[in-house]
Amino acid sequence: MKDKIKIFLDSDLLEKYLIGSTTKEETLQVERYIAMHPEVREMYLELQENLEAYAKLHAIKTPDGLKEKILSTIKAQNSLRKRFTRYAVAASVAVFIFAGSSYFFWDQNQNLMQENTIVSNKIKTLEEDMREQLEDVRNQFIVLNNPLTKKYNVKGNKNARDLKAIAYINPVKKLSYLNLRNLPELPEDKCFQMWAEVNGEMVNLGVIKEITDKEKLLALPYAENAIGYITIEQKGGNMAPTVENIVANINY
Amino acid sequence: MSVLLEKHIVELLQERNEKAISLLYEHYGDTLFGVAYKVVKDHDLAQDIVQESFVKIWKKSDSYDSSKAKLFTWLFRITRNTAIDKLRSVNTKTDKEIQMDVSDVYRIGVESTRPELMDVREHLDKLESKYQIVLDALFFQGMTQQEASDELEIPLGTIKSRLKIGLRELKKIYGSSMVLLSLISIWS
Repeated sequence: MKDKIKIFLDSDLLEKYLIGSTTKEETLQVERYIAMHPEVREMYLELQENLEAYAKLHAIKTPDGLKEKILSTIKAQNSLRKRFTRYAVAASVAVFIFAGSSYFFWDQNQNLMQENTIVSNKIKTLEEDMREQLEDVRNQFIVLNNPLTKKYNVKGNKNARDLKAIAYINPVKKLSYLNLRNLPELPEDKCFQMWAEVNGEMVNLGVIKEITDKEKLLALPYAENAIGYITIEQKGGNMAPTVENIVANINY
Repeated sequence: MSVLLEKHIVELLQERNEKAISLLYEHYGDTLFGVAYKVVKDHDLAQDIVQESFVKIWKKSDSYDSSKAKLFTWLFRITRNTAIDKLRSVNTKTDKEIQMDVSDVYRIGVESTRPELMDVREHLDKLESKYQIVLDALFFQGMTQQEASDELEIPLGTIKSRLKIGLRELKKIYGSSMVLLSLISIWS
């Protein structure tokens, strides 16, 4: 250990460190030695004292005005730094506001774009609905107006005596409509469901809700020799008609 | 410098109080000017170096670590390194001009020595030049003992012994002049 310290002290590294001419690695090495070995620390302290004393022996009176020059340079730098700090703060605030407003506008843009998609989808759906309804109204008009349209009165069987409906069938235009005039009251858990047998297949036409508009015409799928049925089913409708519950049939 | 004053200056430095620079200049200005002059041997250049060094001291003030070096050691390092950088840049620019200036300006430097420091300078004269050369090489030129031995063409053993004796003599000198130096500090 002693040898190590002697080698270190002989290496001049401490002297180089003293006057500030060591490399980064050397500096770390020297500082480690100073921290770890009291004799190195003592030597370093002594060298510092010697350096100060020796340097003082070489003191030369500074030229007049140098002090003022230095102080004014430092003052100028300080105010520059303060100004810079002010600008930096202002710039930071500006950046913050810019970032905030950018986000705000981006968010708004995003919302508007979303709304736009929703609105355009709605318009599309409305358009389709309208076309369908218009087509339906046109067909209804044709059916009702056409002299070739046959009108059938449909009545319910014994299970639904009050059921009254009128079917309009036009074999030329291949259109058929049903106008429900009256539906008998059903228990809470039952409902009427409409079916059509078209080309040998049973088509579910859906559950009949309460009659809100007596003038309303319900479209039936057209086929030659098709049969329409109305059945009583469990509330919510059924996948296939319950044959024994058929209350009315419409041949067309 | 008294430990108390040094502590006070360090505190001011860390608070970034400009008064620190004023106090440092009053107490170390002449010494640091001497250090710069010792390195560049040019009065005007040394003046620039002192100015630059003080600006650096101010800028680096919060990096001073009293556990790693005495205040003067730190100031010395900054000044000496600034001087060496300056010397390098000037040397690459106008090598010859500086060489010419050296002899002219040296005289001014000696003349402008503070009268109250004359005693100190006398003390310095007491230190034989053979020791001064070795101490200069060590403290100002930043040479290693081996480099000094090569440069001055003196055997390494002699360098070592001169350094030892030089430092011992120095201690004797400033041992007696310390009172004077502290008096100067109080006056200034």
